Amino acid sequence: MSEAVAVNPALRLWSGYLRLVARHPVIGSVVPFLPLIALWAIVVEAGVFPRAFFPGPVDVFHSFVDLTRKGILPAYLADSIVRLAVGAAAGMVAGILLGLLVGLNERAHRALWPVLLFFQAIGDIAWLPLLIIWFGFGLETMTFVIVYTVLFPVVLNTVLGVRSIPLDLHRAAQSLGAPRWRILTEVVLPGALPNIITGLRNGLGYGWRALIAAEMIVGTSGVGFMMFDARRAGSVVEILLGMIILGLLWYAVDALILAPIERATGQRWGMVAR
Amino acid sequence: MKSLTINHLSKTYFDPYAAKHVTAVQDVSLDVPEGEFVAIVGPSGCGKTTILNMIAGFLPASGGDIIVDSRKVSGPGPDRGVVFQSHALFPWKTVLENVAFGPKMRGVGLKEREEIARDYLALAGLSHAAERYPNELSGGMQQRVGVVRALANEPAVLLMDEPFASVDAQTRMTLQEELTRIWQARRPTILFITHDVPEAVFLANRVVVLSKGRVLEEVEIDLPRPRSWDAMMDDERFKTLSARVLQLVRAA
Repeated sequence: MSEAVAVNPALRLWSGYLRLVARHPVIGSVVPFLPLIALWAIVVEAGVFPRAFFPGPVDVFHSFVDLTRKGILPAYLADSIVRLAVGAAAGMVAGILLGLLVGLNERAHRALWPVLLFFQAIGDIAWLPLLIIWFGFGLETMTFVIVYTVLFPVVLNTVLGVRSIPLDLHRAAQSLGAPRWRILTEVVLPGALPNIITGLRNGLGYGWRALIAAEMIVGTSGVGFMMFDARRAGSVVEILLGMIILGLLWYAVDALILAPIERATGQRWGMVAR
Repeated sequence: MKSLTINHLSKTYFDPYAAKHVTAVQDVSLDVPEGEFVAIVGPSGCGKTTILNMIAGFLPASGGDIIVDSRKVSGPGPDRGVVFQSHALFPWKTVLENVAFGPKMRGVGLKEREEIARDYLALAGLSHAAERYPNELSGGMQQRVGVVRALANEPAVLLMDEPFASVDAQTRMTLQEELTRIWQARRPTILFITHDVPEAVFLANRVVVLSKGRVLEEVEIDLPRPRSWDAMMDDERFKTLSARVLQLVRAA
């Protein structure tokens, strides 16, 4: 009975695409950008704006190849990534420890929570004027900004995670003979992990943006510096290249690091929505 | 002796909003001899969960003694296994790891504790679920694992706090029959809290009716074992005992 209905060719195409994406997920993350790039190319080719003012995808790609060959782009990119990784690692470790303390200890919570909320509200960039006076234009300033930016989302989410663990899980562990420090490793840490990862995700996202901003203002290398330096030279193509790289890099961090961790933990355990 | 005795247990707490002291449990004495299955029934607010929480060591008692295995206890410990209404399985551990948790805390090696866990899972017909995570199981299966996890730690006393209250009626009957079967096979000492009168009568050797924080009456349940719901439905003795306990609870 059912085969009598002819399948619309467009639907057949759509179904073919879905099956292709299911087999090769990479295709699913590339295809949505194709119309965007096409539109960009069309606007450029139509000549609405002067080419130097609004270069096309091909120009940006040439600039990418050129800067990569000269070694400038890889070096700057490495600088930015190392700064982010070091700052994020420090912010994460400090954030988790502080979060456990505040989450588990009622007195620490009363004493520190309002302070944490206060300092969280002072955006990372708002510290820059003060930091430049204290540390000058350099690594210390940038590191402070990243650690600061990563720290707060991790602390606040860790506290949330620790405090959202049902009381019965603590009690179950105690009744099964777990001493206090084992409850920390067996119940509190894994129980808070999905929230800690959310904090890390937010922290890295904010940290990445804060780093680019800091590099623009106080940097002497890095992707942010490259973009701001390009502005001085009036090189729109390099600015666009920098912007695209920021987006691509975040995409890579998400797809290669954050999403797999989330799939293996909270989602697997049924503690967060897929 | 794997027995539980409570003497003159009481719990009073201060209600800061009402600015007065409230008595939740008053002078409750109870004896659960080794291998016995005792159920406490009573309406909500009668103090039954408070009693269990004090025995488990989750709440400090205001007065009285709790004696487990001939020792006075305070604070939680592995001698008193607890089965929770919320199942309280660790979501980040597989069923096998959950059941092996108690032995792990005792320092039992990986291979040996997994063997223990597999034995107990087999006892409850759960072997096939060993590698799954709790969120992948049905409510009834989760409760079964909760019971098995407590048993696998071989506590002196098993405390069960309305463990079957949140599963559907059919599953509940199956779980009740399984529990009586496991109890007969292993004879653990069990204190079972419930508000469900037929459940208490079906499971226990003795039912304690609680009212306003006091023991109202104890009823011996001299029904033959093994017990099954098919047989109990038409059993006159079961009906009489249930009616008697129900009257006491409703009068409470």
